[in-house]
Amino acid sequence: MSGPGVGWYLIVSAALFGIGSLGVMLRRSPLIVLLSLEIMLNGANLALIAFARQLGNLDGQIFALAVMAVAAAEVAIGLGLIVAMARRDMALDVDQASVLRG
Amino acid sequence: MVAGAWICLLAPLGGALAITLFGPISRRVAGYISTLTTFLAFAGALIAFFGLWSRDAEEREHLSTAYTWLAAGDFQIGFEILVDPLSAMMMLVVSGVGGLIVWYSMGYMAGDEEERRYFAYMSLFVFSMLLLVQAGNFLLLLVGWGLVGLASYLLIGFWHKRPEAVAAAKKAFVMNAIGDATFALAAVLLIWNTGALEFSGVFEGVGGLSSTTVNLVALGLLGGAVAKSAQIPLHTWLPDAMEGPTPVSALIHAATMVTAGVYLLVRAHPIFEAAPDIQSLAAILGAVTLLAAGLIALVQWDIKRVIAYSTMSQIGYMFLGAGIGAYGFAIFHLMTHAFFKALLFLAAGVVIHHLSDEQDIRRMGGLKSALPRTHVAFLIGTVALVGLPPLAGFWSKDAIVASALARGDALGWTLFVAGLVGVLLTGAYSFRLYFAVFQGKPQEAETERSHAHETHGEGPPSMLAPVGILAVLSAIGGLLSIPGVWHPFTDWIEETGEPLVEATTGQDYLTSAISVALGILGIVLARGAFLRDRQLVTAPSAWRIFEHKLYFDELYDALFYRPGAALSNALRRRVEEPVIERSLDEIGSGTILASGGLARVQSGLLRTYALAIAFSVCVLIVVFVAVR
Repeated sequence: MSGPGVGWYLIVSAALFGIGSLGVMLRRSPLIVLLSLEIMLNGANLALIAFARQLGNLDGQIFALAVMAVAAAEVAIGLGLIVAMARRDMALDVDQASVLRG
Repeated sequence: MVAGAWICLLAPLGGALAITLFGPISRRVAGYISTLTTFLAFAGALIAFFGLWSRDAEEREHLSTAYTWLAAGDFQIGFEILVDPLSAMMMLVVSGVGGLIVWYSMGYMAGDEEERRYFAYMSLFVFSMLLLVQAGNFLLLLVGWGLVGLASYLLIGFWHKRPEAVAAAKKAFVMNAIGDATFALAAVLLIWNTGALEFSGVFEGVGGLSSTTVNLVALGLLGGAVAKSAQIPLHTWLPDAMEGPTPVSALIHAATMVTAGVYLLVRAHPIFEAAPDIQSLAAILGAVTLLAAGLIALVQWDIKRVIAYSTMSQIGYMFLGAGIGAYGFAIFHLMTHAFFKALLFLAAGVVIHHLSDEQDIRRMGGLKSALPRTHVAFLIGTVALVGLPPLAGFWSKDAIVASALARGDALGWTLFVAGLVGVLLTGAYSFRLYFAVFQGKPQEAETERSHAHETHGEGPPSMLAPVGILAVLSAIGGLLSIPGVWHPFTDWIEETGEPLVEATTGQDYLTSAISVALGILGIVLARGAFLRDRQLVTAPSAWRIFEHKLYFDELYDALFYRPGAALSNALRRRVEEPVIERSLDEIGSGTILASGGLARVQSGLLRTYALAIAFSVCVLIVVFVAVR
């Protein structure tokens, strides 16, 4: 097998996941939070595909496709929520949307 | 023949269902349905009886199974009826006397608000009693046993607006439940040890049982019999049961249900013969009851209670007879007693009806002229009860007492003497009642009433006809068994239970002579006391003891009710209120407090949640790696 070893892919994947999770935890705009979530998912996808190639097994790739489908659905809902918030003139700030506080 | 028995069993059930289900029928129609179905049952019983009569003696036992009711592995119980001489005789007594009394009820209960319910209960009772006497196995017998208890409960409490009636019904049910429980335990022991409950199977298996088991089984059956037949120590419910309508007292608490215990003793005689101590115990209990009830009857003021104690006393004789093995005579006395005691109750019902529900004999008197026909009937019943020849009680009671003499040993002599003393008491208390009600001067209550023209007369024909028929039966019913001359009745019962003792003709004559003399002495005493306007029991302390019914109610109150109530109250104060109630409150407030603290974690800040998830995942990873 040519090209870089699976280790490099995993490093990139972990970097993507870390960047994404930092984005989710640190940013306050719901749009950016959604973007960061997508980055996390793609990090995970990358790891799945890398392992699938290394093991010569297609299961991981198929699973990555499934993740993409779920991600698309999730984005549709998330964007829908954001549009709804914007329509009601709510601040686009996840810290202020805290009505569910116990 | 078997078909007749099935008709006999199912006709009253059909009557009860018809009255219950055909809602808007008139009250009279309900009475007719009940009366006709009971007489239909009597016709069925006659078919069964004559069917048996025409067979040879060896072929007079028929078990008819409708279907297999319960099956558990090899153990099977069928819905089966047994037609044999004993059950055929009981069918005739139950449906015949029952039919007359239901007929009488149509006059007695006319105008009551809930006549339909009354007749439905009466039909249910007749069905239950027939199930009891026809059952082919102990389980079905127990079913009938419980159903007659239920019907008795419903009918004692028929006037459910009267608190005394409700309390009496409850008492009867509870006392009977004790007997039902011991009976059920005996049935369980039988299944366990013989693997069968049908009579023939059980009686074959009895021989192979240990004496402890047989004694326990016999004791359990005796407990059931004692409770149902109101014998000491489970007798206290019967006098209170007089709160029910008078025909109910006549049918259930005199003629049929209370004699079920005697039937059981005779039906299960192979078990009792295998446990002779328990059988003697039955005879002793009967003797004690017949004396105690006779003494208490001397001081009662309620016309129905006097007759109720007399019933206990007479059933004592039957227990005595069944206990010493004179089965034929016990059943014979059961039958004659059903005649004359139903007659006494129904005649008392005419008196009560005439006096607009007056039951206190102190407010009665001189009714001879107002109720001439009832007077004759009541006198016949009373003389039959005392046992003067040639009326029914003479033949049956003396035969039992003579059998006790024939037994010969110390127990036999004791029972013999008790039976004779009982005759003296019977003569005294029954004629005390007769004189107080029918002789002497009319009391104020009566004169007032006749001045105001409020009397009801003697009652409608539907009341007088059954009284007349029962009077005839009480007069001639005893002629079915004349010692040494003609005894088809006892021969008939002997096919079911061979007697253990048999009195010689000499013993019979001796017993009869003594008992007639004692009976007449009792009558003379009662007459003397009546003419001098005194009571039969003059010592005030004895009077008090008898008036308190030998303190049985007080004893049970102190032994069972008070400790039970005290224990419950203590548990309520010491456990229920401080522990259970308080702990529930504390669990509630504690939950509110804890959830208040936990609610702070839910901040509503999305990013905090994400952080918590990330942190938790990290911890999990570390734990995972470390553990591996």
